[in-house]
Amino acid sequence: MRAGVAAVLLAALLFTGFRSIGQLPPLGGLLDPANGVWATARTADLPAVENGTIPGLGKQVQVLFDDRGVPHIFASTEEDAYRALGYVMARDRLFQMEMQTLAATGRLTEWVGAKAIDADRRTRSLGLPWGAERKYAAYDKSSLGYRSMTAYADGVNAWIGSMKRQDMPIEFRLLRVAPFKWEPIYSVNFFARMALTLAYNDASLNRLAAQAKVGRAAADALFPVNSPIQEPIQPNGLNAPRYDLATIPAPGTPDSSATLALTARRTVLAAFGVTKRNADGDAIGSNNWAVSPKRTAGGHALLAGDPHLDLTLPSIWYEMHIVVPGQLDVAGVGFPGVPGVVIGFNRDVAWTFTNTGSDVNDYYTEAVDDPSQPSRYRVDGAWRPLQKRVEIYRDPLGAVIRTDTMYFTHRGPMTKVAGSWISMRWTAYERSSENENFLKAGRARNANQWLDAMSTFIAPAQNGLVADRSGNIAIRSVGHYPVRPGDGRGDLIRDGSSSASDWLGYLPLSKYPFSMNPAQGYLASANQQPVDPRVNPSYMGSDWYSPWRAIRINDLLRTDSAVTPDAMRKFQTDPGSARADAFVPMFLAAAAHEDSLGRSDATLREAAALLAQWDRRYTRTNRRAVLFEKAVLELASRTWDELSAPPAKKGTAIPVEYPESQILYELMQTPNSPWWDDRRTQGVTEDRDAILAASLRAALVTARKLYGDPKSDGWLWSNVQHANIYHLARIPAFSVLGIPVQGGPSTLSPSDTAGKQGPSWRMVVELGPNVKAWATYPGGQSGNPASPRYADRLKLWENGQLAPVLFPKTQAELDRTKRVISTLTLTPR
Amino acid sequence: MLRSAVKFVLIAEAFSVATYALGWWAVPLLALLCGLTIKPDGKPVIYATICAVAGWFMLLVLDAARGPLGEVASRFGGVMGFPPAALFVTTLLFSGLLAWSASSIGVAVRRKMVRPQEVVLADA
Repeated sequence: MRAGVAAVLLAALLFTGFRSIGQLPPLGGLLDPANGVWATARTADLPAVENGTIPGLGKQVQVLFDDRGVPHIFASTEEDAYRALGYVMARDRLFQMEMQTLAATGRLTEWVGAKAIDADRRTRSLGLPWGAERKYAAYDKSSLGYRSMTAYADGVNAWIGSMKRQDMPIEFRLLRVAPFKWEPIYSVNFFARMALTLAYNDASLNRLAAQAKVGRAAADALFPVNSPIQEPIQPNGLNAPRYDLATIPAPGTPDSSATLALTARRTVLAAFGVTKRNADGDAIGSNNWAVSPKRTAGGHALLAGDPHLDLTLPSIWYEMHIVVPGQLDVAGVGFPGVPGVVIGFNRDVAWTFTNTGSDVNDYYTEAVDDPSQPSRYRVDGAWRPLQKRVEIYRDPLGAVIRTDTMYFTHRGPMTKVAGSWISMRWTAYERSSENENFLKAGRARNANQWLDAMSTFIAPAQNGLVADRSGNIAIRSVGHYPVRPGDGRGDLIRDGSSSASDWLGYLPLSKYPFSMNPAQGYLASANQQPVDPRVNPSYMGSDWYSPWRAIRINDLLRTDSAVTPDAMRKFQTDPGSARADAFVPMFLAAAAHEDSLGRSDATLREAAALLAQWDRRYTRTNRRAVLFEKAVLELASRTWDELSAPPAKKGTAIPVEYPESQILYELMQTPNSPWWDDRRTQGVTEDRDAILAASLRAALVTARKLYGDPKSDGWLWSNVQHANIYHLARIPAFSVLGIPVQGGPSTLSPSDTAGKQGPSWRMVVELGPNVKAWATYPGGQSGNPASPRYADRLKLWENGQLAPVLFPKTQAELDRTKRVISTLTLTPR
Repeated sequence: MLRSAVKFVLIAEAFSVATYALGWWAVPLLALLCGLTIKPDGKPVIYATICAVAGWFMLLVLDAARGPLGEVASRFGGVMGFPPAALFVTTLLFSGLLAWSASSIGVAVRRKMVRPQEVVLADA
């Protein structure tokens, strides 16, 4: 009897030990205290002393980790430095590097099977791996960019080859997969993926959708190419925002041709697998600014970097310091999977970026020889061969689960859309060497050299801000901007059978948004329209984020003539809002006006009194920001009801995103515009003040229902706005969710309601005789969830604090700080 | 008494080393061996079970000495939906049950193998 029970139990234990049950991995390997999940404790912290070997290493490299987990790499050559960087990045972030690579190459099925097939097909349909392969093949093999990627791969593979079982990141165990060999091209793949994140948008969708409902004139005004409020990146000399407020045409008759065009465009995007929506310009966005010595307290140039990206654990960034005597001494952050510093500083120069968000992709209808199995396409009456490529998708065991045949014209990938073949051109496909741009930027000795290093950068276009130790500050929106035939805009599907439809070239560098040492003494960017169209009318796009952050940071910098590094830090989490400054007085005036007309009631009066109490700051302890945000939501839905689907037809009607809040502000100038009328109220025609008052009244009702009494803690901003930092594989136990943060829509630290995007790296640099820097990011250097360095920077980040960055010239100087916690010696193998 | 203690430590150590060298499946293998080789009056099942638990406990202590074991328990307990302490208990229970079941089978097999000989000896 006992033997029978034992046999059954043993069989069950062996089964659960070897086989996964549901989402649970096999328990045996997981619970094993020597080699399983517990063993990750042994590698969670850095050993005090360690040795490693890397093939191809020229000379010994010393890597000293400080108490923030930052590696300070002291090497004899740049290539050796990148070998060492590959080694330590892989040690800290291997799972992240490999998962990002699979996502960028459309190979996620190789880890998780068929459930990732749609995501993989989207990646490959967009031509991301194809574009990366083209770029990689075009690299000059003797170039710094190529050599750095190769050296970096040596380092990554040296780590993978030397890993012990306990070194294996836990995610590999949970997914039951093994790390794959690192190829140099993966660094290029990463940039292709970043291009998709940052340089792929389609503003024409919203315009067409609005046109289908309210006609072209109104649609063009609701989704304009140029922002009605200009506070551009390239200063326009006004020293104040320029309001170019026009009367928005009344809603016109629906345009059926726009419906057809919209359907076609949506079908094209779906065929290319593009599902992402354009970003809400109030809810997200990056900032950077620099101040000339004449406006700083210390008399040195100051620079602040604050790129906003998806928040993940581990973080998208990895901090490092690389020293190659006589050649390179650079610190800052780079991407795991890519050699070198992307945002940072050296002994002379500091730099950072925000996204430009320009229009850099177009579609073409192609004429092919055989619509079912094309081999050629026609341009100007002559047939050209199509490049054919078979995409193979494999499961974790290597079995083929699907194949797709893809075709490419000289423009880019071609896909079949409702019987037609459509190709796409995108700057992300152009032959380029982004990593070389960054590596050369890291060597710059002054702002001009830095601008030269970045002048050939192609995609994703970035507002590159630089300051140097001589006191120069400069900004240029680096990247390539297509010059198109016709109206120059990118919202048409063009005729691919004519070369006259092709891009005519790129905007010359002299036409890029640019400024150096402006009279105002500072420069700032916040994803706003980079140049005032009165100064430079060149079309660069139309999907600019709302101007409120730009107005706010310009306001802060204009009013502070003795800026300190600490003021720069505080600006990064400044809770003030130009959007609130613009709209709150309007709500209050409307409530007063309605009161004077005898159209008020107790709810409106209470709402107005509560809103009047608000200091227009989104601090965590603020109890009134929630009311304003609800009122703005109500205002948008009541004003733009003409764009909403009628309730009876929801689901079948064309969804239209609301115009951005600056358009709402523009409409305020026309109190009796037909747009104010709420069509849901029969027999009444509302004007601006009636709608503002109704929105405020409704906001109080909603807020009270959701959050309770206005005096209660339910109204605290900290209860409403959170950052949610998910683990890359969305494992809840490895995520940190519900972090209360300061800031709200259109503040300098904006966040969307999901809280999944935000400041990914905050940095302030003072370019004095000795460069000083302070920085942090949401997460930690280690990718091991059990490590004390996994999320150790979160508290600092949450509270808007920065840590001083160690920037020693030599190992001896670093040793003297007594902040070295681990020393890794890498020797040639 | 001393002999028993030494025997206990040695077997527990054997479970640790075998797990370290071969993996978790060394536990049922070693326990089966205990059941087969230790005489029934030497309480092979109890020895195997307790020693397997002790062996894994020693490995956990070694892990704890070199890193934040509590953090591991917290993070990975979360993955499996366990409170941190339950992950410790589950781990030790897993090794204990493996050892108990495998050694019990070992004892049963040994009984079958040696019983005829014992009968002959009794008759003599």
